Amino acid sequence: MSEAVIRSMKDLPSTHLLGTGTAMCAGCGGLQAVHEIYDVLGGRTVFVNAAGCMTLLATYPFTPFRGGWLYTSMASAAAGAQGIRDALDVLMAKGRLPIEEDLTAVVLAGDGSSYGMGLSATSAAIERGLDFLYVCYDNEGYGNTGQQASGATPLGARTATTPRGQRLRKKDLFDIWVAHRPAYAATVIGAEPLDLAKKIERARSIRGPRLILALAPCPTGWEFEPEHAVEIGRLAVQTGLFPLKEYVDGKVVHTRIPRPRVPVVDYLAAQGRFRHLFEPVRDDALIGEIQAEVDAYWRAVG
Amino acid sequence: MYRIRFHGRGGQGIKTAAQALGTAFFLEGFEVQDAPRYGAERRGAPIFAYVRAARAPIQERGVIARPDAVLVADETLVPVPAAGVLQGLAERTVLVVASSETGETWRERLALPGPVLALAPDEAGGPLAGMACAGAAARLVGVIGRERLEAAVREEIGKLGAAVLERNLAAALAAYDALAPHAGLVAEGAPVAAAGYRPPEWIELPRDTAHFAAPDIDAPATSVAAKTGAWRTLRPVIDYARCNRCSWVCGTLCPDSAIAVDADRTPRIDYDHCKGCMVCLAVCPPHAIAAEPERARAEAAE
Repeated sequence: MSEAVIRSMKDLPSTHLLGTGTAMCAGCGGLQAVHEIYDVLGGRTVFVNAAGCMTLLATYPFTPFRGGWLYTSMASAAAGAQGIRDALDVLMAKGRLPIEEDLTAVVLAGDGSSYGMGLSATSAAIERGLDFLYVCYDNEGYGNTGQQASGATPLGARTATTPRGQRLRKKDLFDIWVAHRPAYAATVIGAEPLDLAKKIERARSIRGPRLILALAPCPTGWEFEPEHAVEIGRLAVQTGLFPLKEYVDGKVVHTRIPRPRVPVVDYLAAQGRFRHLFEPVRDDALIGEIQAEVDAYWRAVG
Repeated sequence: MYRIRFHGRGGQGIKTAAQALGTAFFLEGFEVQDAPRYGAERRGAPIFAYVRAARAPIQERGVIARPDAVLVADETLVPVPAAGVLQGLAERTVLVVASSETGETWRERLALPGPVLALAPDEAGGPLAGMACAGAAARLVGVIGRERLEAAVREEIGKLGAAVLERNLAAALAAYDALAPHAGLVAEGAPVAAAGYRPPEWIELPRDTAHFAAPDIDAPATSVAAKTGAWRTLRPVIDYARCNRCSWVCGTLCPDSAIAVDADRTPRIDYDHCKGCMVCLAVCPPHAIAAEPERARAEAAE
């Protein structure tokens, strides 16, 4: 593994590789994470973009990227990455692409794709040991079409298809990946840029299937004012609801253990999608259930 | 046939305004068509919606090119070419702008031949400007009764709860009442026959290879050509006397890569692309960033 270059905030990139002028919402936590990731990852990448909000990053003839971009259906981004990887390998084997001009295949997919329809192709790609980086921006719903519930929608959240609140549990995509024994997996959030940058540096130095799971606070879908995007993101970490961790060399390590943990109420009450937990009557049972699950998670971490 | 276009920003209820007006026409016995048109489908991004209403079946389809009335919920969109507010305005087209300035001021400023009316902010209903425009349009056509408008708003908004309904009703009816002196100002436009269609005067371009005809395809970060600064209603302004040159907070956390930091650690905001999310203001440790309303700046500049 190469020596990490980013040790403190001062080492974070001060100019940006990702172009301005994209069509993401003002205050988009997903775009925040993607630009931080891209700034560290560098331009020698090909993005394979599953249908979702980020599809609107590259609307012909405009692109914020400095390299290639391939648009796939929601289910097939990981398969698209296999095609890109194979094409690059074949070109290099035939001497038509110098080895030093090799590119990294990067999947960019939302939670609708990553937790749901894209999971089969992704599972197969990890199984084959595909050398790719999989970036999931997780805003816990089908944001691009008006925030319908996805496999990532957390317990209690109101969406267009769960008007009285989600009754199902959020899937654990990190654990699903870890069960495949990938080369690397990490959770990140744009609101914690140093933690994010260190993980991207590490991921960049490893080959094989790698997951970057970025929680993406979504002003539009989660119903908060855009300026609070960072505050909501920090609360997700401080409450323990979104654990920052990585899986490397066969072990899961938490990179940030919130102590003391902020009560989940602070996170929930700041978002319109949980407003029904507080008014017209406060749903202490459900709030308590959400808190208890977080507590149980961290008890198990030890 | 009436052809009416609404312009506003995502989040101002433009789609709902068109639906409410359409329903009001329908309740009066008209055949109706209403449709929204999104570009970016994002809060703050320019959107428009249009309504056709006629006593006979409507064969026309698509965006309204020759409107009888254009209602603008957000005056900052008027000078934005991409918003297309002034597209197809003729001498008989009535333009309504939600603005604290007078219709006459707007008419002179835009050098328009036709009538221009202003909906004062209290009539325009602030965040309910879209619904106020629906009320204004209902009055201006002169064929929609107050009780039909009310019934239409109830039908479109009722499901959102009593409080939201009351606010929307108040906005729609206030605008309806305010425009009583202009009832019937908007007249039905003549039918458009395919026989009278003239193709636009476009320039035929020869077919060339993509590299020659569209060199931007291979260019990096072309998204900068899209000036998303037009989305902004508030402008973040850095007080450099208070900025402590931390070198990373605003620049890293700006979701849109719109803040770069100079070599001497001075952050610079790119106003051509800043969407006004105000994340920078919220996260700046020494509180060196203030929000200035774009409208006030525009007025000061005049």
